[in-house]
Amino acid sequence: MRTTVWIAASLLYTTLYTIPSWAHHAFAAEFDIKKPVKLQGTVTKMEWINPHAWIHIDVKGPDGKVTSWMVEGGTPNILLRRGFTKQSLQEGTVVVVEGYQAKNGENRANGSNITFTDGKRLFLGGSNPDEKPQ
Amino acid sequence: MMKGAMLLRLLTSIGLLAILAPLAAQQKPWTPPKTPWGDPDLQGVWPGTEMVGTPLQRDPSLGTRAVLTDQEFAQRVERAKKQADVDSQETVNETTKCDPTRGGLGNTQTTCSNGVSIGPPLYWDDRGKPNRQASLVVDPPDGRIPPLTAEAQKTATDRGASRRARPCTRTAGGCHDSWEDESLWDRCITRGLLGSILPSTYNDGNQILQAPGVVVLRNEMIHETRIIPVDGSRPHVNAGIRTWMGDSRGHWEGNTLVVETTNFNDQTQINNATVSDSARVIERFTRTGANTLSYRITVEDPKTWTKPWSVEFPLKRDGEYRLYEYACHEGNYYMYNALTGARAEERKEAQ
Repeated sequence: MRTTVWIAASLLYTTLYTIPSWAHHAFAAEFDIKKPVKLQGTVTKMEWINPHAWIHIDVKGPDGKVTSWMVEGGTPNILLRRGFTKQSLQEGTVVVVEGYQAKNGENRANGSNITFTDGKRLFLGGSNPDEKPQ
Repeated sequence: MMKGAMLLRLLTSIGLLAILAPLAAQQKPWTPPKTPWGDPDLQGVWPGTEMVGTPLQRDPSLGTRAVLTDQEFAQRVERAKKQADVDSQETVNETTKCDPTRGGLGNTQTTCSNGVSIGPPLYWDDRGKPNRQASLVVDPPDGRIPPLTAEAQKTATDRGASRRARPCTRTAGGCHDSWEDESLWDRCITRGLLGSILPSTYNDGNQILQAPGVVVLRNEMIHETRIIPVDGSRPHVNAGIRTWMGDSRGHWEGNTLVVETTNFNDQTQINNATVSDSARVIERFTRTGANTLSYRITVEDPKTWTKPWSVEFPLKRDGEYRLYEYACHEGNYYMYNALTGARAEERKEAQ
């Protein structure tokens, strides 16, 4: 009985609250859940473009070889309203990305964890234009 | 004795007044200011952000109940608090991990693995404010969009069939054989008349500007602008002229702006259904307070839906909100990634 009540309550809970499902893109069509990547790289360029910003990073492998990756970000308009700009992420900054590689095998990635090397998440909070995320 | 009865009557009257006065105040419609040329002044920036997260369609278990109970509302508040907690974490940690059992953006079996989700960080998204509205659809009374007509279902099937001679490669989000398989939103064409104003996790800005005889409605979502004649001097364009956002004409009913839109082209969509040449959409904009604009949209398309249906929700004025250009196709790498991704999967399967 208790289980039944719990299940009923859970169902109600999940149906009453919508986690926003409107998203511009089906990211799972672009990126492969079976190809997780963890990259640490130096920012070389920030493409502050719609519908999503792209961060370009150079990643040095264990053999010393450098490969260039593109990492997808969110829409610039929200970030602008929160006070961040293209200048908020300077060239030379080191970022760590946990995500998934593009299905086409190219060095493009997208994932929920983009941090600085101290573990702090990129573009978090703050609506003061002078406030830098780092 | 007499004095006591009078006192009682007086106290009763005061009591009644205390109860009735706020009700009367609630019932009295708020009168908006007027423009210098005498129209109700609806001008301002009216984002739909606060309503983000309110379901478009109502959960069937709620039936015809349009307003949540205190308990249901408290659960909604609790959920928003949990989300805010996840969003505000300074570092990546246990709290920020995605959960495939939670559902929604980033939290499904195909988008979440080992606590990391596909998609940019979700804390960059805009969040709504918990409210008691059970669904954005308010009519029919069950809050559900009526079924498509048999004709509309057949048209949708035929469209897909005529475009391809073989079964498509179905990966996440459907077929990715051609750019035409991608949604109008993915293709950065339009989100359609309803979709442009429907609360979304980003770019919810709406702006109204007025000039004599004209109302301009601007949606940030894929930079739509409609310049709507409201003085009755210009009839709808010729029936042969058909466009993605249709042809809008407005008029005033008291302090409400009523906009009728027809002349949709044969590709544009409302709620992912291609509308017919009979589609007629009526929008009603009413200021219900200094900072609240009631928005109601009714979709009438007897060839597509079995009944008309309406969505209604409030837009809130935000003087600080800036609409930025949303030139959606300037870096739309999605198209390339999705199509080349599907080809790569086909090659892998062929091996």
